[in-house]
Amino acid sequence: MSRSLEDTLFGAPSPRARTITQVVSVIAAGLLLLLAAGIAYRFHSAGQLEGRLWQFFAWPTTWAFLAKGLLGTLQSAAMGAAIALALGLVMMAGRLARPRILRWPSIAAIEFLRGTPTLLLIYLCFLVLPSAGIKLSTYWMLTLPIALSTAAVVAEVYRAGVLAVPRGQTEAARSLGLTETQVFFTIVFPQALRYIVPALVAQLVIVVKDTTFGYVVTYGELMQNAKVLIANYHSLVPVYLVVAAVYCLVNYGISRASRWLGRPVH
Amino acid sequence: MGDNISRLLADHGPAFWQALLLTWKLTALSFVPGVVLGAAVAALRLFPLPPLRGFLTFYVEVFRNIPSVALLIFIVFALPDLEFVIDYEPSVVLTLILVCSAFTADYLRSGINTIPSGQIEAALSLGMRPARIIYSVVLPQALRSVVQPMTSLLIALMLSTSLASQVPMPGRELTALVSKLANDSAAGMAAFAVAAAMYVATGLLIAWAGAALDKKVRILR
Amino acid sequence: MPIKTVLKSAVAALAIAGSGSLFAQGAPIDAAAFDALVAKGPVASAETIAASPWASKIKQAGTLRLGGTQTSNLFSLLNEKDGKIRGFDAGISQLLARYILGDGAKIQFTQVNSSTREQVLINDQVDMVVATYSITPARAEKISFAGPYYTSQAGVLVKANNKTIQSYNDLAGKKVATQAGSTGPAILAQFAPKSTVQEFQTHQEALDSLRQGRVDAYVTDYTLLLNTLSLGTGDAKLAGAPFGAQDPYGIGLRKGSDGVAFVNAFLKKIEADGTWARLWTISIGQRTGSTAIPTPPALP
Repeated sequence: MSRSLEDTLFGAPSPRARTITQVVSVIAAGLLLLLAAGIAYRFHSAGQLEGRLWQFFAWPTTWAFLAKGLLGTLQSAAMGAAIALALGLVMMAGRLARPRILRWPSIAAIEFLRGTPTLLLIYLCFLVLPSAGIKLSTYWMLTLPIALSTAAVVAEVYRAGVLAVPRGQTEAARSLGLTETQVFFTIVFPQALRYIVPALVAQLVIVVKDTTFGYVVTYGELMQNAKVLIANYHSLVPVYLVVAAVYCLVNYGISRASRWLGRPVH
Repeated sequence: MGDNISRLLADHGPAFWQALLLTWKLTALSFVPGVVLGAAVAALRLFPLPPLRGFLTFYVEVFRNIPSVALLIFIVFALPDLEFVIDYEPSVVLTLILVCSAFTADYLRSGINTIPSGQIEAALSLGMRPARIIYSVVLPQALRSVVQPMTSLLIALMLSTSLASQVPMPGRELTALVSKLANDSAAGMAAFAVAAAMYVATGLLIAWAGAALDKKVRILR
Repeated sequence: MPIKTVLKSAVAALAIAGSGSLFAQGAPIDAAAFDALVAKGPVASAETIAASPWASKIKQAGTLRLGGTQTSNLFSLLNEKDGKIRGFDAGISQLLARYILGDGAKIQFTQVNSSTREQVLINDQVDMVVATYSITPARAEKISFAGPYYTSQAGVLVKANNKTIQSYNDLAGKKVATQAGSTGPAILAQFAPKSTVQEFQTHQEALDSLRQGRVDAYVTDYTLLLNTLSLGTGDAKLAGAPFGAQDPYGIGLRKGSDGVAFVNAFLKKIEADGTWARLWTISIGQRTGSTAIPTPPALP
């Protein structure tokens, strides 16, 4: 059984080394506490610890309001992710197709959508398309660019996963007489999932992050609701701090959930 | 559409060029310190000091999970209330450095895990100190093995410079320029096409360079 | 009829009151009085609505699709506790909703800001936009305006301890905040061309930039500046009198919409029966400590 690198590097310490480590740990902990105290002091001296700036967080209405914003965020993220997963599959199929007439447009679409910032695509939907006569609702102005951008990335993730499955599997399946579709869906894809799932979850986190651009198209999500609270209570630092924490927790939760999901797959 | 683009370039060509340079500048200014900081975090995480490890893990998780826009808004609009007034362009660069360092630290951690422990044992038996080992044995190999994800990170960073359009910076990068042209004139579609082409071209260039670098320095185990 | 002089004296009275700090400290709007005023507003007869295709369409849809803001302290602020938006602009739109639909609450709200106000009308996402929307010829090319329902001039806001900036003449070489997509940039280009302009998406962000010292002054519609002073924190003041052309606020509608005539008739009605004045008192007057009710601007 191989030990982790840290254990090899620092493991099996002599009693002297152990004492040194403990002492340094205590010093490190002390320094970190000092840092935390310094931050708290700065908050205090800047007047950011005043009750009036935090008191509204004690009211359930505030949290209900933030929750509504979070719901808006998640609605956009979920739809964007769903479309991206499906569309990405189509794009990947086009990318791996043998006829050039399918492959080249797919490659072009993927490279184009992957290579432009999501914010730019949002501006396209918001500022440019309407003059061409295409009018979308605020929800779709946010969700569609995110979905398209993510679909291209997802297509590449699928492709990498599919290419990582050993060729022998495909050849064996074909020699058994399975059709190409059967080969793909029963042999290749399930095995590719093992490689794909972590990358897909990472993309899901990026999708949630992209929804923060909702305020650009004035879609009501968490960031927008934060601004309403700020306009009501003039409490910039506490509100932005809490909202940032909520985003971090949600994304962290998604990553953690994936790790828990990823285990039984193989 | 073709002559729309040529008219646009005739009127605003220099503006696009400036915007592209600004995009590249922001990317470079955030990537280099971001990678250095990320490498430092990854190295420090190896030390068996629980408080330090806990703090660095917290740092990485926060800056990996926070949306860049939320971080930028916090730095630009909220930090001044804590008496840290940072100008707009440095704020954008700072945001990108922090996010880049968190992802770098994460990629390096998996890169570090690919190094066989036999090497560490050999180095230890040669009498090298752990810090020295990290610096000359662990980090170089880790960096060489993560060129591919780092290339993706650089491209993502380059695309993230579009954030700068959200703060009133004196200079305009590509996305801000497209937004302004789309608002002020009818050349929105053409402007978008030009900007998109520039982004895609830059991305492809980075990807090609990254692939070449990877092939050269990759360690085959 | 010297509306201008009446307005100027009203505004001067406000300025005098404004440069002091004797207001109620950030007095929130009298919600009960506001809600009561909207509930008592006029309701249009069936013939009036039938005569206007725009209003008929809204009546058929059952809701008025409105573009507005939720974060403007005097004009349109969302109270997250009861989910209601109140303020001068909010009052106008809710009274109009009651006028067409019989109920001021039948509004489908879309948040807009200075950059998105025209877009949402062009995209037909909303029926009208009420958001301290200044009528300018450039905007009038893309959309139509009903009203004006209010006028204001530009003002300069500086920190209370700022002695160097006395009026817009002293802005050369200074950093000045203004709202993107508003009349601020044009006014600054005309009256203070040598200043360094920073454009912000919302009024709140521009105010904060002044408070945090990122800019030396904030130039925007004078009435919006009263917002800061109404909070009574006393660390900002007006530099000089309001300047520039009279800035009319209008109600944005789609280009060529026939709703313009309908809304103008509605505005005449509420100005005649005193609702406009009462709304002004509740949403602006009581909260900025001024009692001189301005005369509403003349409608075309």
